[in-house]
Amino acid sequence: MRILIVEDEPTLSAQLAEAVRAAGYVVDLADNGVDAHFMGDTEPYDAVLLDLGLPKMDGISVLRKWRVAGRKMPVLILTARDGWHEKVAGIDAGADDYLSKPFHMEELLARLRALIRRAGGHASAELVCGPLTLDTRNSRASVAGQALSLTSHEYRILAYLMHHCNEVVSRSVLVEHIYAQDFDRDSNTVEVFIARLRKKLPAGMIETVRGLGYRLSTP
Amino acid sequence: MMRLLQLRGSLRVRLLAGTLFWITASILATGWGLGTLFHQHVAAQFQSELTSQLDQLTAQLAIDGQGKPGLAQALSDPRLTRPYSGYYWQIDTLEDQNKAAATATGQLRSRSLWDQALSVPADTPADGVMHQHRVLGPQARMVLLVERSVRLAEAPNGQVRTFRLMAAANEDFMLEPVARFNGMMWLALGVLATGMILAAVMQVLVGLAPLRSLRAALAKVRNAETPQLEGEFPLEIRPLIDDFNKVLTQNAEVVARARTHAGNLAHALKTPLSVLANAARKTQDTPAATTGLARLVLDQVGLARQQVDYHLARAQVAASSRLPGARTAVQPVLDGLLRAMSRIHAERQLVLTTGDIETPLTFRGETQDLQEMLGNLLDNACKWARHRVQVGALRHAETLQITIDDDGPGLAAQQRDAVLGRGVRADEQVPGSGLGLAIVDDLARLYGGQITLTDSPLGGLRAVLVLPAVALRAAE
Repeated sequence: MRILIVEDEPTLSAQLAEAVRAAGYVVDLADNGVDAHFMGDTEPYDAVLLDLGLPKMDGISVLRKWRVAGRKMPVLILTARDGWHEKVAGIDAGADDYLSKPFHMEELLARLRALIRRAGGHASAELVCGPLTLDTRNSRASVAGQALSLTSHEYRILAYLMHHCNEVVSRSVLVEHIYAQDFDRDSNTVEVFIARLRKKLPAGMIETVRGLGYRLSTP
Repeated sequence: MMRLLQLRGSLRVRLLAGTLFWITASILATGWGLGTLFHQHVAAQFQSELTSQLDQLTAQLAIDGQGKPGLAQALSDPRLTRPYSGYYWQIDTLEDQNKAAATATGQLRSRSLWDQALSVPADTPADGVMHQHRVLGPQARMVLLVERSVRLAEAPNGQVRTFRLMAAANEDFMLEPVARFNGMMWLALGVLATGMILAAVMQVLVGLAPLRSLRAALAKVRNAETPQLEGEFPLEIRPLIDDFNKVLTQNAEVVARARTHAGNLAHALKTPLSVLANAARKTQDTPAATTGLARLVLDQVGLARQQVDYHLARAQVAASSRLPGARTAVQPVLDGLLRAMSRIHAERQLVLTTGDIETPLTFRGETQDLQEMLGNLLDNACKWARHRVQVGALRHAETLQITIDDDGPGLAAQQRDAVLGRGVRADEQVPGSGLGLAIVDDLARLYGGQITLTDSPLGGLRAVLVLPAVALRAAE
């Protein structure tokens, strides 16, 4: 899961990045509206944390441009302006949720999880795919009640596949969603993580669809 | 007394009183002047008639052979022969110096005098001088009388005798036309005065008509029907209108600027507060030395946030509720908020329904304030509801009533006042004590409305928000 954090205040940006990374997500940072718009427009993020008061281009305009261009990733607005008229304006511009500063980091993460989950069409905080269960609230995966021990990269790949249970996910999409923008991407490492996951999961759950990618399916 | 004072303050009464005074004064002066002039003219004519009769009388006076006075020829005027016709003459013989003849009153007189004589005060005008008297004549009428003395040398003995010749006429003959003239004149002047007064009243009404339309325009601004004074006004008050409109515009700009500043201040304060709180929360898990400080920072940040929220909300309302001319349609605001609620509380999968909503329904106030009040109420309802939140909006004459129901756990009666923050000062409130509803209460009161919390038919809490509405006529 890859998250874009748009915040111009460096300390807060760093705090957010740290907390979101600790929750098992991959984080990209933008500190102005123009960069934020470009990144959101070109990279497939699973969610965006968007501050409204930004240099160069304000958050509402960035959001509107994304929506006009057909970008549908969930956006959580994060702002100090918490009048209801601003919340309504933000929602009407295409935001999916609204959190006003100062906020509790736990609440931010809970809302972020909920947004990603809903974007994938999942109603519950627990994702289920056959015998496999993923609790997004504490980032734990289990097979038939048996907890799995996963590294952060393994968790990210599994979480993405769980969000798209029974769908074919290409290798490049997986790469885009588990690595930050500035990371030196090597799609071969994905194969390594998939191989490790296969060992930990019931046999046959991760299929390789030749030429297309991988599919997590109920046996 | 009050009424009189009010009248004194009226421009209309001032203008009318001045005009009325001058019209009345000039009409009275004209009447008096004309009346006097006519009276003098009639009196002069009357006197000249009497004088001409006296002249005739003088010319016809003769003394016959026995020394008795008589008229050589009767006077031509037939009125002098008709009894009590009102025109008379009389010749008295005055006692002469030699006492040869005794004084005789009414020795010779006009037939019209019949058996009466004119009694005149003793008087001997010098030769050629005429005297005038006003005496009681026949039939108890006042008569005006001219007299002169004539001395004649009596033919037989050459004695000189003195006669007193008088011509008289009823005073009525002179007064009657004067009275008739005065009657006609005052009638005419009255009609003139009435016409002038009517014209003056019309002038004042027409002249002051722009003031009435100005008042109507002002009322429209107050009733939030128009943001500025609108309409055609005369050149004289146009600058006043323009200046007033400038003041209104400035006012609106000041409010808008204050809002922007308030928002900027909030932004400037809250971002550092977020940083501080996040940092403090992180250190909570570390050794005890820093935990005390972290807790303190967290508490104070929470308090600071509440204070910023509370005072910003109040400052915004204080500015806007004094801004005339603001009006907001309720329906779009509700729609926007419901859209936002269904997103923000998407996790809870609530059913947000609208009950009876009257349209058009217009709130007399700022859009942001209505959003703030309804937003907080709806947010609160969504937080507590189990499955359903329902909104209704109705008009009751000059007020609108918005009802928000939820099917949550509700609120005990004794907690309701506390939730609205009544009787508790903002800086005494403990963190997390439902500041949102306290702000709604404050906002509603500043608009002269109110909020009441009761039991909802859905089982939870019902919030009823009553606010001033724009009258139906104006809303259409």
